[in-house]
Amino acid sequence: MAAVQVCEAEKVYIMHGVRDDLRVDGRGCEDYRHMEIETDVVSNTDGSARVKLGYTDVLVGIKAEIGKPKPAAPDEGYLEFFVDCSANATPEFEGRGGEELGSELSCTLYKVFNNVNSLELRALCIAPREHCWVLYVDVLLLQCDGNLFDAISIAIKAALFNTRIPKVTITEGEEGGAELELSDDPYDCVRLNVENVPCIVTLCKIGHRHVVDATLQEKACSVAGLLVSVTHKGTITCVRKVGGGSLEPESIFEMTETGKRVGKALHAPLMKLLRDEEAQGKQRQKVGFLG
Amino acid sequence: MPVDTKRVRGPEESQSPLLFLPSIAKKSVAAERGRQDGRRRGQADVRPVFARCGLVSQAKGSAYIEAGNTKLICSVFGPREAERKDEAGASSGRLLCDLRFAPFSCPNRGAWIPSSEDKDTAQGLLEALRPGVRLHRYPRAQIEVNVLVLENDGSALAHAITCASMALADAGIEMYDVVLGCSLRLDGNSFLLDPTLQEETAGEPGAQGSVTVALLPSLNQVSGLQADGDMREDTLAEAVRACMEGCHKLYPVIQRALLRAVHKRASPSES
Amino acid sequence: MSPRKLCVPGEKLCSTEDCIPGTGTYLRHGYIFAALAGYVFRKNEGEELPVISVVKETEAQLLPDVGAIVTCKVTSINPRFAKVHILYVGSTPLKDRFRGTIRKEDVRATEKDKVEIYKSFRPGDIVLAKVISLGDVQSNYLLTTAENELGVVVAHSEAGVQMIPISWCEMQCPRTHGKEFRKVARVQPEFLQA
Repeated sequence: MAAVQVCEAEKVYIMHGVRDDLRVDGRGCEDYRHMEIETDVVSNTDGSARVKLGYTDVLVGIKAEIGKPKPAAPDEGYLEFFVDCSANATPEFEGRGGEELGSELSCTLYKVFNNVNSLELRALCIAPREHCWVLYVDVLLLQCDGNLFDAISIAIKAALFNTRIPKVTITEGEEGGAELELSDDPYDCVRLNVENVPCIVTLCKIGHRHVVDATLQEKACSVAGLLVSVTHKGTITCVRKVGGGSLEPESIFEMTETGKRVGKALHAPLMKLLRDEEAQGKQRQKVGFLG
Repeated sequence: MPVDTKRVRGPEESQSPLLFLPSIAKKSVAAERGRQDGRRRGQADVRPVFARCGLVSQAKGSAYIEAGNTKLICSVFGPREAERKDEAGASSGRLLCDLRFAPFSCPNRGAWIPSSEDKDTAQGLLEALRPGVRLHRYPRAQIEVNVLVLENDGSALAHAITCASMALADAGIEMYDVVLGCSLRLDGNSFLLDPTLQEETAGEPGAQGSVTVALLPSLNQVSGLQADGDMREDTLAEAVRACMEGCHKLYPVIQRALLRAVHKRASPSES
Repeated sequence: MSPRKLCVPGEKLCSTEDCIPGTGTYLRHGYIFAALAGYVFRKNEGEELPVISVVKETEAQLLPDVGAIVTCKVTSINPRFAKVHILYVGSTPLKDRFRGTIRKEDVRATEKDKVEIYKSFRPGDIVLAKVISLGDVQSNYLLTTAENELGVVVAHSEAGVQMIPISWCEMQCPRTHGKEFRKVARVQPEFLQA
């Protein structure tokens, strides 16, 4: 990821600040940076969202396609994640530079959604063993300023909320086979229940405390962190230790506890925001990419 | 022999016959109170482990571990000259991890080309091992860790971590501590430590999860943690504690295997 | 002889008040821990406290480090630098191949501008050198021979015979008596082995 140079004095300054619950940008240890969310930003997608978290900027587009269900789960659709680290974000991502980070991010996303509660995958099934919806979730990193996981997970939740899948009816074909018929009314569509979609909270251990939503400078001071994905009910769907260092067992328990608390608190305002935005309908002033 | 490309030699895609097994057979474990191999639920009951060092003579260090039917082999090469040089890697060494499942290691045949899931497991292995290795002692060098899962009967990542750290110690790589791995399967309200593959895949959906912990036992630091599923925070904490207990059960076995390997070598002269 | 104590990485050996940490150990919170699986040695080296170290095999494992004297073999030369393979660090052979570079400026200590690589080294020469830097992103280990004791120790003439040094910059072939230029090392007598 984009590397920042932090000297020893700066590190000490940041660590002392964190100890006193006052971070360089004035936040407390459990505060997020200013966040901007806009849905329905790309018209060619079935659902899209853009999230800005500080200077981290993430765009998510979801495309629904009809595919064959996986043999292991014949009555479910599935999601495919792809994270593209474009060289727009930082020149280090040029060529194959971003590949490693991209695959790490997408692998984590698979794990986060790898349980029955996150998303109702049965709703994506059209005909068992034959047809199902495949949601291609493409994540584009426009700017990187730390805490990519959290921003991506929020953007995915917003984009899934925004996703509208056309209705499909199955009719008996003339030769006996089933035929799919796509509804041509653009408003006749299926929505997804995103209530249970988890959000990722990344905690970075700095000194003896841990912070939420670390900036790149703060991340440079931290040897290890914990990534916790939390649902709106406060259950945890995925935990992963990140960063090169190790953690004491006690701090892991503290960090998951904080992660759960912060993550749980994140969902209600996010859903309210998404509903408000949708209620505005066509009157909503679109901000777009310059906002 | 040239292959006749025009002839259709078989289906392009093939499925394992296990898919067509009635699903009732799969669920039989969940109903029982105990576990199929006689271990108890909710106890730090790990499978007996057999571990040996130094079986790959070409490698700098190697190890073999067997826990129940899970069998892994690991070899370590290096430190050797780093292939890729970047700014970050100049002052300390790089640890490279490769983890492969043999195609016949699981009930369903796997491909030789590692899938993204395999790569993710390898990443988890790297995350767990890195805090244990004194990489700053190896500037501009790389240490390669190759793990091959010969037979997967559950808890592959956890045993891969243990096996790899044994191979690193066998290779004489300076380490802060050995790294031990242990995993756990949450099944309803009880947990199954060191689950078999059947236990990993069975059980009613909904109330499950799996946790893998890597521990530096004498420093009492957790170097790796991966948890998936849907669980409460206190359940998770309990699971992590149980895994740590499992790791400590493993420690004497690994210690003995390492000491045995040292003993087998010619003892150095007192100079 | 008493049975030697064995240890595994992470084992607590003793407090810093009892011993000085040596090779194969590390310090943490005032205690000395083992970093290797091997034999524990305590040795008195004239200090107040004995040095405690962990030894794995007869030969320790080393990497070229800044300041280390290395033995290398020249693989290729060009007007700006000579490329070498590092074979030994001190007297320990390396198990893997490490590459190094001797730049033109680092061949001699004096009259650096008059140095010409092809009058100093030829591919196949065995050279004693010192590591000056671990190099950066582009380069390998940077080595120098700018000391009297450093430079070519073994070289073969065009006739394929090992040459004999006749001055600090020339070597002679015993068969053809042809002279060739080299940056000759004055090998210290204690390093010469029969």
